[in-house]
Amino acid sequence: MLSARIGGAWATCAALAVFSFATSRAAAGDLIVTGAKPDRLFIIDAPTRSVRSEIHIPGANGMVSVILISPDQKLAYVLVDRMERVVGIDLATGAEFFRADLSTPDERIKSFFSLALTPDGKELIVYELPTKLLSSEYVIEEPRFAVFRTDAGMLAKPVRSFPAPRRVHMLLMRPSGQSFYAVGFDLYEYDVKSGKLLGTRGIQKWALADHSQPDLLAFWPVTEPSGVWTSPVYSELKKGSESVPMTALMSLDVKSGALSFADFEPLSALIFSTVLSPDRTHAYGVYTSLSSIDVAGHRLEKRVPLDHTFYDINLSSDGREIFIGGTECDVGFYDAKTLDKKAILKLPGCADQSVSTLRVIHGR
Amino acid sequence: MSELKPTNHKADLLLEAVAEGHVAEVLAMENVAGCATTFDPGWEVDPFGGVASLCQPMEADLYGCSDPCWWPAQVPDTMSTYPNWDAGKPSAAGDWRDLDSVFPKK
Repeated sequence: MLSARIGGAWATCAALAVFSFATSRAAAGDLIVTGAKPDRLFIIDAPTRSVRSEIHIPGANGMVSVILISPDQKLAYVLVDRMERVVGIDLATGAEFFRADLSTPDERIKSFFSLALTPDGKELIVYELPTKLLSSEYVIEEPRFAVFRTDAGMLAKPVRSFPAPRRVHMLLMRPSGQSFYAVGFDLYEYDVKSGKLLGTRGIQKWALADHSQPDLLAFWPVTEPSGVWTSPVYSELKKGSESVPMTALMSLDVKSGALSFADFEPLSALIFSTVLSPDRTHAYGVYTSLSSIDVAGHRLEKRVPLDHTFYDINLSSDGREIFIGGTECDVGFYDAKTLDKKAILKLPGCADQSVSTLRVIHGR
Repeated sequence: MSELKPTNHKADLLLEAVAEGHVAEVLAMENVAGCATTFDPGWEVDPFGGVASLCQPMEADLYGCSDPCWWPAQVPDTMSTYPNWDAGKPSAAGDWRDLDSVFPKK
């Protein structure tokens, strides 16, 4: 209940509560896109900390989760309806132009946070977990990647599908459009056209000397600031007869394919998600505190407490401002250099963002 | 297994399969109930053995747990089993008084 005591405006759910404009604003033209219960998609003008538009997603059924932005930055693909429906939304008009209902009456299909869009915007890849619903039993079927054409309209069906591993929780498209990564217990790469498994690299099976098997929580496919996806990774480092819990930064450059893990602090605070700065010198992490990490120095640079727990973190296009969201109904604006709080925007209606992705459309 | 006696046809088949070594590999219940892929140990204790590092307030994390069925024993699973548990209650922190306990259907 910490945030209720600190922020009086929190309980009243004011549509807009801006605390400070003393420091520089986000890069001009940057837009933040986030979702909220039960069916909302918000577009926020970052420099003015104001909601530009509020879109109702038909059939969201109480849950808005992964948000992908099209390459032309005009469309959003959103996983809704308890992970059983993907919709395409025109961000300018709010109109729904694409819908893929994954389940059928006798087969329940969930997509656990795992979507990817090809760089030409023409195909959407959805990780599917199918369960056959028989009259007296459920039969777990093999997971698969289903590929949809984005011009398929409101009754979209897969144009092809291919086998997928279990326990995948995020997809990342590579800029070439020829392959994509599936993040699960390990890191898999698949050919978009053929569905062929091109390679597997270790996450649980990583090969860091003296480290235990790692653990990570990762379903925020944010790469827009730098082209690199990052995540905190937790493991135990063996030191003599003892082991020390450590936090590492996992970095995957989706263009070059470079993958690295580097400890940056003994585990002292949890971090849900991280983002890498455009110049790749700093990573920022969020949980109930906001952390700044010196990437080259492999060290925690600064940490400040937050009003409450947040899930999501992203950056302005110039890297000078941090945006945080997810969980409750507020979007936070923080200075990337000092980690000072600059503003808090309460979303209209004050509905929880829950596990919605916080995306940033860069100004031009 | 020798102490157990099958009481229906399916149990008969199971014993038969065990005897013949044909029991299928156990699959993680990733999606049979639309449920969690995690085996995190518990809702109440943080990695340090205390509570100071849990999400704060817990309501901030509540729908983030019920939506993806993260703690199916502790939080109602809105993904499959109790999809209307949060209906009309879009803010966990504001609507917590109206979030009821749930009970398995008979």
